[in-house]
Amino acid sequence: MLKNHFKIALRNLWKHKAFSFINVTGLSIGITACFFIFMYVAFELSYDRFNTKADRIYRLVTDIKTPSETINTDATSWAFGPNIKPEFPEVEAFVRVQRSGYLIRKDNIKFQEENAMLADSNFFKVFDFKLVKGDINTALIKPASIIFSETTAKKYFGDADPMGKTVLMSGDGVPAIVTGVMKDMPGNSQIHADLLISMTSLTQKFRPDIDNQWGNYGANTYLLLKPGTNPKQLEAKFVPFIEKRNGKQARESKMFATLLLEPLKDVYLHSTRGGQEVGSISNVYIFSIVAVFILLIACINFINLTTARSVERAKEVGIRKVVGAAKGELAAQFIGESVVLCIIAFFITLALSSLLLPVFNQLAGKVVSPGVFSNPLNVLELFLLSVIIGLLAGIYPALVLSSFRPVMVLKGRFSSGTKGNFLRKSLVVAQFSISIALIIGTIVVYDQMSFMQNQDLGFSKEQTLVLDTDNDPGQEAFKQSIKDLPGVKAVTLSSSVPGGGYNGAYSEIENSKGDLQVANLSLYFVDFDYIKNYGLKIVAGRPFSRDFMNTDTAQAMIINEQAAKLFGYAKPEQAIGRRFKQWGREGKIIGVMKDFHYRSLQEKIDPLTMRVEMKAFNKVSIKLSTANLQTNLAQIESKWKQYIPTKPYSYFFLDEFFDRQYRSEQRFGKLFFNFALLAIAISCLGLLGLASYSTYQRTREIGIRKVLGASTSGIVNMLSIDFLKLVLISFVIATPVAWYFMHKWLLDFAYRIQIQWWVFAAAGVLAMVVALTTISFQAIKAALTNPVKSLRSE
Amino acid sequence: MLSLQHISKYYQVGGNKNYVINDISLNVDEGEFVSIMGPSGSGKSTLLNIIGMLDEPTNGYHYFVDQPVHQLKEKQRSALYKQYIGFVFQAYHLIDELTVAENIETPLIYQDVKGSERKAMVADMLDRFQIVGKKDLFPAQLSGGQQQLVGIARALIAKPKLILADEPTGNLNSKQGEEIMELFRKLNKEDGVTIIQVTHSEKNAEYGSRIINLLDGKIESIKNL
Repeated sequence: MLKNHFKIALRNLWKHKAFSFINVTGLSIGITACFFIFMYVAFELSYDRFNTKADRIYRLVTDIKTPSETINTDATSWAFGPNIKPEFPEVEAFVRVQRSGYLIRKDNIKFQEENAMLADSNFFKVFDFKLVKGDINTALIKPASIIFSETTAKKYFGDADPMGKTVLMSGDGVPAIVTGVMKDMPGNSQIHADLLISMTSLTQKFRPDIDNQWGNYGANTYLLLKPGTNPKQLEAKFVPFIEKRNGKQARESKMFATLLLEPLKDVYLHSTRGGQEVGSISNVYIFSIVAVFILLIACINFINLTTARSVERAKEVGIRKVVGAAKGELAAQFIGESVVLCIIAFFITLALSSLLLPVFNQLAGKVVSPGVFSNPLNVLELFLLSVIIGLLAGIYPALVLSSFRPVMVLKGRFSSGTKGNFLRKSLVVAQFSISIALIIGTIVVYDQMSFMQNQDLGFSKEQTLVLDTDNDPGQEAFKQSIKDLPGVKAVTLSSSVPGGGYNGAYSEIENSKGDLQVANLSLYFVDFDYIKNYGLKIVAGRPFSRDFMNTDTAQAMIINEQAAKLFGYAKPEQAIGRRFKQWGREGKIIGVMKDFHYRSLQEKIDPLTMRVEMKAFNKVSIKLSTANLQTNLAQIESKWKQYIPTKPYSYFFLDEFFDRQYRSEQRFGKLFFNFALLAIAISCLGLLGLASYSTYQRTREIGIRKVLGASTSGIVNMLSIDFLKLVLISFVIATPVAWYFMHKWLLDFAYRIQIQWWVFAAAGVLAMVVALTTISFQAIKAALTNPVKSLRSE
Repeated sequence: MLSLQHISKYYQVGGNKNYVINDISLNVDEGEFVSIMGPSGSGKSTLLNIIGMLDEPTNGYHYFVDQPVHQLKEKQRSALYKQYIGFVFQAYHLIDELTVAENIETPLIYQDVKGSERKAMVADMLDRFQIVGKKDLFPAQLSGGQQQLVGIARALIAKPKLILADEPTGNLNSKQGEEIMELFRKLNKEDGVTIIQVTHSEKNAEYGSRIINLLDGKIESIKNL
């Protein structure tokens, strides 16, 4: 029986090539898209789960309350870990890590390693990162021990064994011994480093007092809890612990810390506190929904085309019933056919996804999967997915087909009727609603992207080259040397540039009531040219000036409007001359600058302070003229080699650097766009099939109308208008739904577009045009046919 | 073999009952060859379909091999006709996607006959109808007479007790028609297969042992030959 069914299925597919082609293509595209999304979602959900102790690992995070704000941070003080461990038996181990850039040199090979990490000695015992060489128990114990990843080790040592070799760290050239080589950290790890440096380098060598600095929030701390520990109860016990150990100091500094525990498994997708790599659970949801939608569209195609063709299959059903087939057997046969179709689609998907995986990885910005066949489980899941789709898509047509009454069919009294039409039309409406909603989504995403990139940020980011000097003593001389190069318009030194990192400083600033108010404020160290070169506007007071060299380098501060507001000044002028204390300096506010976006537009502009601190600079910003870029770069490089020879020459352009913050949104936008495109393509494929069958069914009617004198255009209109009505209904359904979801999506951005009416209009018109093109192809063909031919065939 | 008692079938059209079959009672014994005649719209085919359990009467009693068909569920009815009845159609109704041999084989598949056994039975049938050479052809490659031959072979493969034929020669020329009727006669006489046929042709009707004339859903006359 199976063999017979299989044979019939294949012969049927072969006989109706166009039908099979549309169905298989639609299904293959749908399954491929789903498969990619499935892999992507699985990858996102797999973050940090490779750690065998992931269930017991928690990230210690802090809410810090100051009189001015509550700061929810992923950072912890250096003191927490080492002081918690002896006091709480339920804590099995703690690991502190600190990410930072390090200059690493070996002979003439030097790189600025931006992805270096200081780590406590039990790093490898808490997490499941693997050492290829070295001992996990001892590798990070001694100060100035360094562990390279395999890839990074190659950069310095080639194929030679790095173990026991010495490299020089940071500008001062502190010698460090290589005590291990680790496997490259997996892509789905939220903790990511190319090299590890023993935490003891800091705690025992550079900053021996740091283990007891309760107010210095520079580390991330992970706790491994003993099995069976309730994290909520532990959090509660932290309250008296902090009070006992740090209460007095907290009251003095007016900074009160609450310790919280985040399960490691939730850090990547669910934490709102940031971290090294941040995922988005809502993106996971969005893509999952999109996957389901695409699958739905592909299934609907199948259902529509199959039921539309039911007239042709009806005879076979009748005969089979008459010769003794039960309804169940027939249903099984038709479901079998759809499964066969899906298995064919499975093989095409396999080929297609192998081909497209590199493109997809690039689109996603990470190696979601190294290869389709790298994980046999993937292939198995894909196969199961195909079979399940075959079953789902096959059930309805199978039930319809198998319930034909043989008498009706065989007597020729059977006609396609209008019974299935309503369902088919509803399904087309569902398809197009989804497609239009996806088009609207795509337009909104792109609109927001372009808004963010074109928004006036309040500073000038064009033609600005930024170099990382790593606080090299030669930087001032370097600045002077390139200032007068012909292509250089301006040079300025600072600790921070917009879009990059900045200090968070414990500050006390006189508020409108005359009290010193404590707040944690963003802090830029800048030189005298910074405000002018970045085009920042001073709204009250004055910028830093060399005319006040003595006071401005130690006792002057400029704040932004947000900061003025925070301390209660209704007008910026009122803040001028007020006192401040910050990081060991005291002085007066000399100016208020207009707010500018020093972070991405997802985030609100927070209070910002600027001071001149000559020793704290590590970045050179160079404003270039547009001409002769390559020459200018070469000249700057040769000056660099002359003045800062120990540091690698590496630069970035500020506009690109700033836009890099939108990379994940851009990726999201691109992925979304591609999947929307697929959804529309599959819908149109289905529409094409449906249109061709509906015109086929109406061949006789068209013939009669033509004989009676209908014009070609009249017939094309008649055939098209039916489908256009469906697109219109879809538009009405899709618009509010899309508006609602995109509105929610936009709420994640502090600065966002309003969704304009034209977005909907554009999506509607686009869908209409695409549908019309698809249909008219068939309609014109039908309308041009010689009526005698179609009538004779009846 | 079968007994119809006061069988009626009507459609409700507005307030009126539109009778297709109007109170027909009929007994057919095993081994009979019955021809049903009558003008278009007299209810011949409907009667045949009711006998074949493809259609249900509105009311009346229907017994088939001593089973009360009117009380059976669809599944049981289908099991019954699967076992006892073979159908032959005017338009042959072969499955276009299957070869001659596969078409003939189909009923056996639904009766769960084993593969090897099926092969033997199909080979037997092909041999008997002298169409062995055509076994791998598709219906579209055959003439009408040949297609009907395949149709009959298919009807006979499961060894039915009753053959129901709805104008089996309607689409054939007179020579082909005659051959088919001869075949029916032979099946009836030699193999003892009961046959009920619907026909328009006086001449073909006379192959039977009894001719039933229908008019407007009622039996107008019965002629025993």
